[in-house]
Amino acid sequence: MSPEVTGVVGIAVLLLMFLLGMPVAFAMALVGFAGFAYLTSPGAAFTILSHDIFTQFSSYPLSVIPMFILMGTFAYASGISRRLYGTAYNWVGQLRGGLTMATVLACSGFAAICGSTAATAATMGKIALPEMKRYNYDDTLATGTVAAAGTLGILIPPSTVLIVYGILTEESIGRLFVAGILPGILLSIFFVGTVFFICLRNPAAGPPGASVSWGERIKSLTGIIEAVVLFGLVIGGLFLGWFSPTQAGAIGAAGALVIGLARRELSWRSFFEAGKDGLTTSCMVIFIITGAIIFGHFMAVSRIPFVLVDWIGGLNLPSMAIIGIISFIFFIGGFFMDSMALIVLLIPIFYPVLIKLGVDLIWFGVIVVLLAEMGVITPPVGVNVFIIKGIAPDVPIEKIFKGIFPFLVGLILCVIILMIFPQIATFLPSFATY
Amino acid sequence: MLEKFEKFNQRISGWFEWVGIAGLLLIVVITGVDVIGAKLFTWRLFGAIDIVMLSQLTAIAFAAAMTLIIGRHIQIEFIVERLPQRAQAVIDSIVLLLELGLFFLIIWRLCVLGYSFQTTGESSGTIYMPLYPFAYGVALASVLVFLVLLSRFLSSLAKAVKR
Repeated sequence: MSPEVTGVVGIAVLLLMFLLGMPVAFAMALVGFAGFAYLTSPGAAFTILSHDIFTQFSSYPLSVIPMFILMGTFAYASGISRRLYGTAYNWVGQLRGGLTMATVLACSGFAAICGSTAATAATMGKIALPEMKRYNYDDTLATGTVAAAGTLGILIPPSTVLIVYGILTEESIGRLFVAGILPGILLSIFFVGTVFFICLRNPAAGPPGASVSWGERIKSLTGIIEAVVLFGLVIGGLFLGWFSPTQAGAIGAAGALVIGLARRELSWRSFFEAGKDGLTTSCMVIFIITGAIIFGHFMAVSRIPFVLVDWIGGLNLPSMAIIGIISFIFFIGGFFMDSMALIVLLIPIFYPVLIKLGVDLIWFGVIVVLLAEMGVITPPVGVNVFIIKGIAPDVPIEKIFKGIFPFLVGLILCVIILMIFPQIATFLPSFATY
Repeated sequence: MLEKFEKFNQRISGWFEWVGIAGLLLIVVITGVDVIGAKLFTWRLFGAIDIVMLSQLTAIAFAAAMTLIIGRHIQIEFIVERLPQRAQAVIDSIVLLLELGLFFLIIWRLCVLGYSFQTTGESSGTIYMPLYPFAYGVALASVLVFLVLLSRFLSSLAKAVKR
């Protein structure tokens, strides 16, 4: 078999392993190892197997991952998410659909200190869904909003998906983070707008909450100070070149811990639970990256990415059409795979194509994240939907998917706008010093 | 018997997880001290990067078994879930056997790597900490992953062959 055919067979076997339920990280390592052994020699494959595990597990650039994950888990344990929701509730809760708008705003705020969609959806779901139930909000609107707004977790920095993308494409994580800010704000506005239009058409879907005095509203702003300070310190420090990404993450984790201690919210139990949660999530992500690196060696010797570059080059299509095709592949892939798995599988394959086309990889990173966001709320592998189902077991899963659909339109609109106006993503990074 | 084996794996994985948490918190402390020292007192913690790298290696390796036990790894389940239970058990057995093969190779090669570090005196870049104990440590942590997979394999096999 030629290297190219071996590569295609390898990808097919990998997808089969995924479908049979093998963990993504193990499947990539196994197929990558076997394919590399077949195309080079078993001796060389044995060497890369242990070498890659040792070097990736001990990689200093990868230490940014546990630090930002830990920052998110400590922020949750410190009660920051609850206070963010409380502030948003006081400001917009009395409007029609106000509680769902508050949920979107609180998700945006929590996304600014947590880099995971699942964590954002789970955290806000636990806080917001009982409140919306209390005010007789329509289950479809309530659950759909939390699942969709949870996706902001990987767009608004810090973002685990952008970190992994940055590592795979060797782009600056600081610049990627900053690139996510304006699209994140734009998407938050779209989501709030979506809620507004739903409640305009069906006022019973989101009845107004209790009215709050201006004094209480202003007083409640103290609830967002810590999140703003933490975000400003971490992302601002990164933006200005004060910290490396790992340092920024460690400062963020320590900062969230200090907030929890100062607020007397953090018990030993919640501290260790947050630590365990951060550890196992980090372990999962670093295993996936290691698997992707091993699989990447196989892809390199199979020459698939380079053949793909030549083939696409021969198509004589405009760059935008090729980017559109690649984006569509990410979009379709998102239906069947987790966002992280999708990125570690597809980026090494399409990376040479993107380089050849001269694509701005910072901008494309934001597009990829938006496409990955769609994946976490669409069937059959909509992670956020299953999380919300776990929090609201009485709501049928079809109802949650139905509730998500209007927000999906907002996400697609956001991708189209970013394709037409890439400056929305590239403007802020042009000022970044890191 | 299988239940005892699972409990044994869980208990050891729990202990290993504590090692992982300690490693992770050490990264936060070391990096925090290094940053504060560098920004406020123009003083750097000697060997901070080496300590962070080796702490991360330890943390991730020692958390691997618990990550597997609590089902944190990303996997696609919606197709296999729709199959009859026996078919699920057969597929799980095949998949777990492949995973066992992978981890057998990983343990073996990490021991070889550790031995090569030991004989060549390989050490970290700044504080010259020997690397071989860490390679053996990762191999040891992988043995626990192997045992967790083995217990699952035996359980799936029992379901697959049950009349």
